[in-house]
Amino acid sequence: MKIVTANRLSDGRVIYAGADNQPVEQLAQASVLDEATAEVVLAEVAARPDVFVNPYLVEVQDHTPSGRDRLKERIRATGPTVGNSLVREPA
Amino acid sequence: MYRYDEFDHALVRERVEEFSDQVARRASGALTEDEFKPLRLMNGVYLQLHAYMLRVAIPYGTFNSRQMRRLAHIARTYDKGYGHFTTRTNIQYNWPALTDLPSILSDLAEVEMHAIQTSGNCIRNTTTDVFAGAADDEIEDPRPWCEIIRQWSTIHPEFSFLPRKFKIAVIGAEKDRAAIRTHDVGLQIVRGADGGTAFRVFVGGGQGRLPHIGQEIASRVPAADLLAYLTAILRAWNLLGRRDNIHKARIKILVASVGLEAFREEVDKHYATLRHEDLRIPEDEAARIQAYFAPPPFEALPKASAPFDRALLADPDFARFARNNVRRHRQSGYASVVVSLKPVGGVPGDITADQMDAVADLAERYSFDELRAAYEQNLVLPHVKLDEVPALWRALHEVGLATANADLATDVIACPGLDYCSLANARSIPVAQALSKRLADMDYQEKLGPVRINMSGCINACGHHHVGHIGVLGVDRKGEEYYQITVGGSPDEQAALGDIVGKSLPADEVVPAIQRTLDRYLEIRTDGERFIDTVRRVGPDPFRDAIYETLDAANA
Repeated sequence: MKIVTANRLSDGRVIYAGADNQPVEQLAQASVLDEATAEVVLAEVAARPDVFVNPYLVEVQDHTPSGRDRLKERIRATGPTVGNSLVREPA
Repeated sequence: MYRYDEFDHALVRERVEEFSDQVARRASGALTEDEFKPLRLMNGVYLQLHAYMLRVAIPYGTFNSRQMRRLAHIARTYDKGYGHFTTRTNIQYNWPALTDLPSILSDLAEVEMHAIQTSGNCIRNTTTDVFAGAADDEIEDPRPWCEIIRQWSTIHPEFSFLPRKFKIAVIGAEKDRAAIRTHDVGLQIVRGADGGTAFRVFVGGGQGRLPHIGQEIASRVPAADLLAYLTAILRAWNLLGRRDNIHKARIKILVASVGLEAFREEVDKHYATLRHEDLRIPEDEAARIQAYFAPPPFEALPKASAPFDRALLADPDFARFARNNVRRHRQSGYASVVVSLKPVGGVPGDITADQMDAVADLAERYSFDELRAAYEQNLVLPHVKLDEVPALWRALHEVGLATANADLATDVIACPGLDYCSLANARSIPVAQALSKRLADMDYQEKLGPVRINMSGCINACGHHHVGHIGVLGVDRKGEEYYQITVGGSPDEQAALGDIVGKSLPADEVVPAIQRTLDRYLEIRTDGERFIDTVRRVGPDPFRDAIYETLDAANA
């Protein structure tokens, strides 16, 4: 199964295509799609470059990235695993 | 320090206005990402895993307290309260919003800073010896020449669309503290035949997936002809360099493929013409720029300092700091002080906004308002009275910046890795942190002496693993993080690439393997031999054995 992800234009944050192809911030809210539907959704969000920057598909099992890039996708979903960004959220 | 003239101010202001308009058009959707990408890269803006990243230039690593306070303000206002210093002596912000970039660049312009040429296929920030103007072994301060290169290269029309990026480093001493032979061009100030300033020129150094150590292409280029010679090198590469394959576009590939002699002939052809043109640096202009870098008004002080010596005896922690982080100065009674950004278990190169403000205050109070960003991702206060080093140390201690590990095993150079970077294959920071915790015992570190450990999260080698005494490269093996270890690399005047010791290790094996490597060194070193000396004497084999000795065959 696949989900559609991208970075948000305004601030670069990780987003996913959720219900009605709306951008959502949580991986858990991303729509999990079969291959064919995923391609359709990808094309649709690619046509909305004012929100979705560099959209692409991620292989998942349920809502867990499972492809070769699973570690990268896990870090994209949950943020850096270490460091100062964990100390303080933006004002 | 150099101060902007009206042209510099106008140039930076115009660039801010231009980029503000580009950002507005991107935010409105009028520009696509493909159209915007080259424009943002010309202004230091990347799109990383979690956010945009802004890289701000610190030309040749020299800045002042006002600029540092502005960097703190940006970290606090537009980011998550911290910044990250890089091996290119720049500072990166990991979390700015696209729409805040114009405000950030405006704030920077007010203090004579910018992000121009911190990315893209142009001539990047020129770097130098962090102790420039302070080191006691320097024949001439390299920073005026860095500034001349900056002025010449900034938005240079011929060199704004190069085959790839181009990095220049300049040193003024025999001792190379700026890793010049890992740069596209490395310049070493020497005395010319007439006794005047000249440059020994290295070309074709670089790291990444195909690392090369720079080769000497000229032994004495007269200072007045420096820009003619650099133009000749860039023109030869710009015309002959490959643009069809990004991995083969750097000048190092061209020099290696045609050979140094053939490349020199090409350069000399251009140089023969160029040196008679308008590129000669007028003496009065060189003198005008050099005047900005005149030594600060040092006091005439005795060599020894009673307050310094008393503190050495009174406080073993200060004595340790003095041994490891205080460097000799050309001026009697003064020292340069390394402010380590490598606390135990910290993120190499990271500094909080509050710490930035504190360092700014200390630079103003103790170091003639001067600060330096170091290649090793540390800071330096270049000109501190020995009398005042104890007070400075106490103040650094209060803000968590007195880690006494400069050039020791926990002074790890590391790229942001897969925690932030969209190019990375593996994380760097957690490995650096684990190493720092494992080797935290200062007695052990001092027993080891100077050891440089470098971490890169991918083959692009931003953590300079090829030239680490011990290098660690993150690789992806079927979706798992593995790490390849090299030993024997060196970034200095005896520059060398490390030898890969064998197959890559799983993440949790890296730190124990490095400790075994260091322990093996302690067993086999001879008196006075540094880690790198021992590696050069015995080769990588004993260390390979140490690295793999406890690993079962299935893992190795």
